[in-house]
Amino acid sequence: MFPPERTFWELFVTYVSENWPRILALTGQHVMISGIAVCITLLICIPLGIYLTKREKLASVVIGVANVFQTIPSLALLGFLIFVFGIGNDNAICALVLYAVLPVLQNTYTGLRNVSPVMIQAARGMGMTETQILLKVQLPLARSVIIAGIRVATVWVIGTATLASAIGGGGLGKLIFAGLGALRQEVVLAGALPATVLALLADQGLKMLQNHFEPRRRALRLARKYAAEESVREEKDVPGEEMVRHEM
Amino acid sequence: MVTFEAVSKVFTDGTEAVKELDLDVGEGEFVVLIGPSGCGKTTSLKMINRLEENTSGRIRVNGRDIRSVDPVQLRRGIGYVIQEIALWPHMSVAENIGIVPRLLGWDSGRIDARVDELLVLAGLDPAKFRHRLPDQLSGGQKQRIGVLRALAADPPVVLMDEPFGALDPITRDVLQSELKELNKSLRKTIVFVTHDMDEALKLADRVVLMRQGKIEQMGSPEEIQNAPANDFVRSFIGEDRLASISPESSLEILLHDPFLRVAPGEDPRDVLERMEDDGLETAQVVDARGNWMGMLYLPVLKRTLRNRGTLREAVRRNRKLVLEEAVMRDAAEMLADMDLSIPVVNRENEFLGVVTSGSLARLAIGRLSRSRKEENA
Repeated sequence: MFPPERTFWELFVTYVSENWPRILALTGQHVMISGIAVCITLLICIPLGIYLTKREKLASVVIGVANVFQTIPSLALLGFLIFVFGIGNDNAICALVLYAVLPVLQNTYTGLRNVSPVMIQAARGMGMTETQILLKVQLPLARSVIIAGIRVATVWVIGTATLASAIGGGGLGKLIFAGLGALRQEVVLAGALPATVLALLADQGLKMLQNHFEPRRRALRLARKYAAEESVREEKDVPGEEMVRHEM
Repeated sequence: MVTFEAVSKVFTDGTEAVKELDLDVGEGEFVVLIGPSGCGKTTSLKMINRLEENTSGRIRVNGRDIRSVDPVQLRRGIGYVIQEIALWPHMSVAENIGIVPRLLGWDSGRIDARVDELLVLAGLDPAKFRHRLPDQLSGGQKQRIGVLRALAADPPVVLMDEPFGALDPITRDVLQSELKELNKSLRKTIVFVTHDMDEALKLADRVVLMRQGKIEQMGSPEEIQNAPANDFVRSFIGEDRLASISPESSLEILLHDPFLRVAPGEDPRDVLERMEDDGLETAQVVDARGNWMGMLYLPVLKRTLRNRGTLREAVRRNRKLVLEEAVMRDAAEMLADMDLSIPVVNRENEFLGVVTSGSLARLAIGRLSRSRKEENA
């Protein structure tokens, strides 16, 4: 006797309820692979992007190369990298980094380049050092563009990381490939659904970060903080005359 | 306070922006550098805080050769108001104003106090404006903040590079007056760049008029207006600014093109038609070489045509002024006698233009509105 026919959703729920520790573990792996890839990308691309703003000719070459990686099909790139890194997560992370380079690098470069020269000249004229100009003016003004690039890269990386298992790496791709091999769609879904949720969460999180730095919100926070401090100050009854007086 | 000794600036492309400039700006003096674009005024300004490096000569600020000071330290000691205002949009008003004190390492309490003090000085309520963003300010408010930012660390010298250029005329006028008033108490040494002569004359203790990297004339607003050194200065001051004009002054600034200029060979009927169409009382007859042949009056021309006369018979040559000999009083007397255009020629009888009651009126209007402005300022 065959067991009674079960709907897809029943199969899915059963699979998940029996295998949730494994799904969780693989999700953790997935987060780790993607996270490491994104972190490495940031560590490389943001300083590189900053450097490239000072070397325009080199910039077009480097961004061109990053563009080329973008056009290689992901599976082909992973396959090719087996010759370099062997199989496993290292290979996968490396491939993911190559993928993520372009949006981060491009946005860092473009974001910084688009900061009006007048803003920079004002900063220089006020007596900021080149580092201070970068940290206090250029990067804050380019921030939302840079974060936008990171958002794109992160979503790509989380999606593409499912391919890591094709070359012996871990992550949610394992479930997807296993499900495909066994023709069990509920298993595919058990891998794909968390991957999608991860990507959406990361995207939303970064969007919130982007908004957090939005000047208007920041100004509001500052105003509130100041008002709070002010009231504390008044309670303590610190006389305002204590402030340094300036001879005009 | 700020001294230029034979300072030149040659850009890498070979352009000589500033040539052998000598200038001594005294303590508390308000010096305005003015001139047409490309005259080297902005470059001269930027050399003071080493945003541009001079290629030869020496610049001293407060007695010290600026080349011997680290540019970053130098700039922190000199106020700077940049052309496009350039408040940093990601920083609040207070942060913008407090930037130099922060760079100098003041503690935050002192910075806050200074920011509030400055806002009050500019007539802006600190509680209201402290945490605003530049985007939330009007153009005039932004510019006030730009000036406050330059004053924050109480520098003895302030450089201003066309600070009011982007403002509408009314706001500009208000801010100029405010700045002038403010500096009466602050007594900063100010080097101010503009291309607007009205602004220069209003603000400056001393105007430095530059052209092609050199000083054309330097002096108080009165000196510049009363004794323009040459034609360039005269033209730069502009006719409506010659407030010191007397009845004995030359007619030159009153001259303008006639409304109708006709050639001696033209058909008088065509000329009459054009005059009637345009509602003109007079026309000037000038030959191909530019010699003045006479003047046409509408009534005379009509009468001549009724008698089938020629254009030559219609012209009158008794009303004219010779530029080298006539003064404004002559023009005024002739216009009082008969309110019609007066042709002006030189001794060679070359036609130069006409003087009308309109051109005199414009001059008077310019003078009257100017003296009014000065009273207000």
